[in-house]
Amino acid sequence: MKRNWGTLLLSTLVVSGMTLTACSSGTPSDDKGDPSDTANNTKSVSAEGFPIVEEPIKLEMFTRIAPTNGPFKDMPVFQDYEKMSNIQVEFTEAPTDGFNEKKNLLFASNELPDALYRSGLTPLEATRYGAGGQLIPLEDLIESHAPNLKLLMDTYPEIRSAITTPEGHIYAIPGIVTVNAARTDKRWMNQTWLKKLNLKEPETTEELYEVLKAFRDQDPNGNGKQDELPMTARNGLSIVPIMGGSFGLDFQLGYNINLENDKVDIWMGSERNKELLMYLNKLYTEKLLDNELFTHKEAQYLAKQGSGNTGFFFDQTNNPMLDTKVADQYIGISPVEGPHGDRLQLAAPVPRDFGAFAITSVNKHPEATMRWVDYFYGDEGSTLLRFGRLNEHYELRDGIPYYTDAFLATGNQSKLTPYAGGGAPHLISEKVASYINPPQVQEAQKKLDPYMPEIRYAAPMFDEQTAQQINVLRNDIDKYYEEQSTKFIAGTLSFDKWEEFQATLKKMNIDELQKLYQEAYDNIKNQ
Amino acid sequence: MKELRLKRSRSNDKIFDAVVNTLAALILAAVLYPLIFIVSASFSDPALVLNGEVLLLPKQITLEAYRNVFDNDQIWNGYANTMVYTAIGTSVNLIMTTLAAYPLSRPDLPGRGVFMFIITLTMFISGGLIPSYLLVKSLGMVDTMWALIVPGAVATYNLIVMRTYFQSSIPWEIQEAAHIDGCSNWKLLTYVILPLSKPILAVMVLFYAVGHWNSYFNALIYIRSEELYPLQLVLREVLMVSQSDAVDSNVGLESKVLLAESIKYVVIIISSLPVLVMYPFVQKHFVKGVMIGSLKG
Amino acid sequence: MKSTATTTGAASRSRSGRSRLLKSMSSRYDLYLMLLIPIVWYLVFHYGPLYGLQIAFKNFSPAKGIFESSWVGLEHFERFVESYYFWRLLWNTVSINLFSLLFAFPIPILLALLINEIRSKAFSKIVQNVTYIPHFISIVVMVGMLMLFLSPRGGPVNAIIEALGGEPVRFLDSAAWFKTIFISSNIWQNMGWQSIIYIAALSGVNPQLYEAAKMDGASRLRRIWHVSLPGILPVIVILLILDVGHFMNVGFEKILLMQNNLNLESSDVISTFVYTTGILKGEYSYTAAIGLFNSVINLALLILVNRFARKKAETSLW
Repeated sequence: MKRNWGTLLLSTLVVSGMTLTACSSGTPSDDKGDPSDTANNTKSVSAEGFPIVEEPIKLEMFTRIAPTNGPFKDMPVFQDYEKMSNIQVEFTEAPTDGFNEKKNLLFASNELPDALYRSGLTPLEATRYGAGGQLIPLEDLIESHAPNLKLLMDTYPEIRSAITTPEGHIYAIPGIVTVNAARTDKRWMNQTWLKKLNLKEPETTEELYEVLKAFRDQDPNGNGKQDELPMTARNGLSIVPIMGGSFGLDFQLGYNINLENDKVDIWMGSERNKELLMYLNKLYTEKLLDNELFTHKEAQYLAKQGSGNTGFFFDQTNNPMLDTKVADQYIGISPVEGPHGDRLQLAAPVPRDFGAFAITSVNKHPEATMRWVDYFYGDEGSTLLRFGRLNEHYELRDGIPYYTDAFLATGNQSKLTPYAGGGAPHLISEKVASYINPPQVQEAQKKLDPYMPEIRYAAPMFDEQTAQQINVLRNDIDKYYEEQSTKFIAGTLSFDKWEEFQATLKKMNIDELQKLYQEAYDNIKNQ
Repeated sequence: MKELRLKRSRSNDKIFDAVVNTLAALILAAVLYPLIFIVSASFSDPALVLNGEVLLLPKQITLEAYRNVFDNDQIWNGYANTMVYTAIGTSVNLIMTTLAAYPLSRPDLPGRGVFMFIITLTMFISGGLIPSYLLVKSLGMVDTMWALIVPGAVATYNLIVMRTYFQSSIPWEIQEAAHIDGCSNWKLLTYVILPLSKPILAVMVLFYAVGHWNSYFNALIYIRSEELYPLQLVLREVLMVSQSDAVDSNVGLESKVLLAESIKYVVIIISSLPVLVMYPFVQKHFVKGVMIGSLKG
Repeated sequence: MKSTATTTGAASRSRSGRSRLLKSMSSRYDLYLMLLIPIVWYLVFHYGPLYGLQIAFKNFSPAKGIFESSWVGLEHFERFVESYYFWRLLWNTVSINLFSLLFAFPIPILLALLINEIRSKAFSKIVQNVTYIPHFISIVVMVGMLMLFLSPRGGPVNAIIEALGGEPVRFLDSAAWFKTIFISSNIWQNMGWQSIIYIAALSGVNPQLYEAAKMDGASRLRRIWHVSLPGILPVIVILLILDVGHFMNVGFEKILLMQNNLNLESSDVISTFVYTTGILKGEYSYTAAIGLFNSVINLALLILVNRFARKKAETSLW
């Protein structure tokens, strides 16, 4: 009997071992193995115009399906585009819940699709799978077969810097946002309350403080109770980068970083940050800033937005207010000016959704695949993706697509487009943003435009070893920084401990971290 | 004298009963209140629940959350799937667990310590997700019902509980007597041990069935076809909406986030009702004195 | 083991120990036959994938596979032990488990005994059925309810405190309150469910023993002490051993939902650390190393307690 178990155990090991070796070998050689094949294919892929290929081809793509989406094969964009391009795409849809596990298992078990669509790869994943040969480098394909993407990358240099590895490879392409309104959280101020109390829009941090105090004390909702919530924000420390612009704190390279004269400065232990935290601490302890800031969840935050009983908060759109009909109460205001004259608006980088699309080594038609996805980086393709069919789903007003009222009434928008749920590989430009950018939001954005950063670098790509190093450093540093900052704001940690805070950051090797970011930035500059 | 003692013990008994009942009533109240809250919250306007205005009874009664959940066609399919998985899975569990637990409960089995150690060890070390996935894949079970049943055929914790019951609650003398009568171990198990073990069998059915009913992780990893989704996976999808933190330029997502608040409560109610009605059936088997009857007979 | 001697009979006693063992094994071949399928299953589904453990000592890269990834020795373990928060993580994990063992472990036993003493059958059933329900409340809702009930703005608990003239307590963003809230809500949610095993075990206690105790004039409390408790003691001991075997684990989902930077001081545990720094960032090797670290401690504790239980309570896992 013992022998039986032994052989069984052994055979199991062998079986799984075989699958593994089968997986691990061959992948890098795969794409090199049939150069003639790809060469043949290249001929049939037209460099521009449609169809993309003469002979119909089929591609398998792995994608994330959001709870609001319907099946991808029913989406007009993919139905129409298949006819147009002669490329049939078969989607394997994984629900958002468990998507990351499934994505990682694809790579671990080497059951690769031809491409990953809306895959939310992290920079580390892209580097790893790219270096391991499971994802193919795209920089040459972009050059030759992606005119739209190439144009965008030339216009916005920060795109290239955000997706190119130190070795110069691009393994994944991002979702790109050129419309400013989709890059910022608006600063929504309760104008009904302002009018009632005879106040003007605050322009400085001091004025903001006075306005909030008036909201708290002077009963702007007129119910005789002191139940107004002067100011709130998304859970946690989201308030720090939003208000940081008034204290000269920028948010470059996806981290707490200021760039001055090409010098990377991690500002977590700086005097400016201390001033900011002291200001927030003042708001918090005087109950001007929501005292549930660190415990409330997203749903509660949205409920507060819609209650009409909030004075000042931050959000990209006006949806929560629209839903509850208190929208007229709010207008967007400009960032306030800080004690040193700083006035900067926080904005997400143009390459907003990293890792939205990638091509794997088993793909026999990389050129065609690249051309296929590139269409969505132009206004025409993006319109198709976001709005569906002309007349059936949208109409043009002044050349700008708007959903038709009839279609809006069906409430089916999110079922019919893969952009709902976020992270789709496409361009969001002024032209296709009518739905997310209604007049009220446009007005609010206009107040922010003068204060937008000139260029906002996204988190850079590191090689695998550096990425690991940064991970290890940041695990301790970020956690410490966030916990202590929260305690400073909430007043459970006194500012007497500031030197200790600085010293601990030093001890955690923040200088080393700064050096690594500096190297990455220099690399970007030299590219 | 004796009568006095009896009287005293009777009045002591009464006090004891009073204490027991009061304690039980207090516990009941402490548990019931939040349960009532959940039911109320499922019928109320979600914004009011979030703002802490619903504390006992529903306010601004709405059935929208229920409508939303039941509008999802996948729910019914999920229900059906889960029932099948639970029924088959629990049967497999029960057979496998009994087959292991009984021999291991026998004090006269040479080497049972070694077997127990081998089995207990698996509670502590595991090869992780990737090798398990590759194994299930190489057995051809990915995207089939068997991926949800076979890899979880025995829960070690339950095995140990069952073995302990066999060992401690069934007198060894009965088994010895049966052996002397020339009864084989198979017969002993089926005709003597199992009929005497109804309480633990009932508990095992409950534990395993609830386990299958609530499980989603294996389905998440191994199941791809929507028509095979168990209920919990469907419900998690319905709930996912509320979990997305970054509101991404989305189509009316915010109102869904609020709705998801009340859907949370609906989901608990509709997903746990079938399991709740199971308990009384299980309870039926917790009867005292089964052992005595069999001893006499 | 006494019984082994009796069943194998007097005849075998004269033979050598080895052949006695063989005889004793072959005469019970059918018991091994029963064990065959479960043991094979354990070998295939638990021991088969064990080769995956090596990634704790490697730098696992999915592209290379488990076998081809490069060895790094104890690097991941060192990184964990040397991380800034290691001691805080260890203390919080251990103390939460210690308090749970002290408070959460005995309560289901007491509840089962209480239910066992309720005279009215109907009432007893109601109590069982109701206390069992909270087990099915999802963690998200459980934590949501804690937030509502404990909110300093109009939560019922604080309303009562204020009515009694106290200051509202900020339960959820206080490090001092975290463990109390976490453990007591666990008790609330699981006491009914966990009492089921004990209730089942109590129903297996021989009623004649109660009768005999009654004849001797033992009070109800004494009967609980001398009949009920000893009757379920083996189950209690085994469950206690198993609980100790989970000493380094705390479910991460609930803590993660309750965690914020203001209570992190006492809510930061190993499992949430693994989740945020290992699993979310796709660091398989690091995650595996911490998991192994926990398991080794758990196993050592289990072996210790098991040995102790075998000596003192004559009940053990093996």
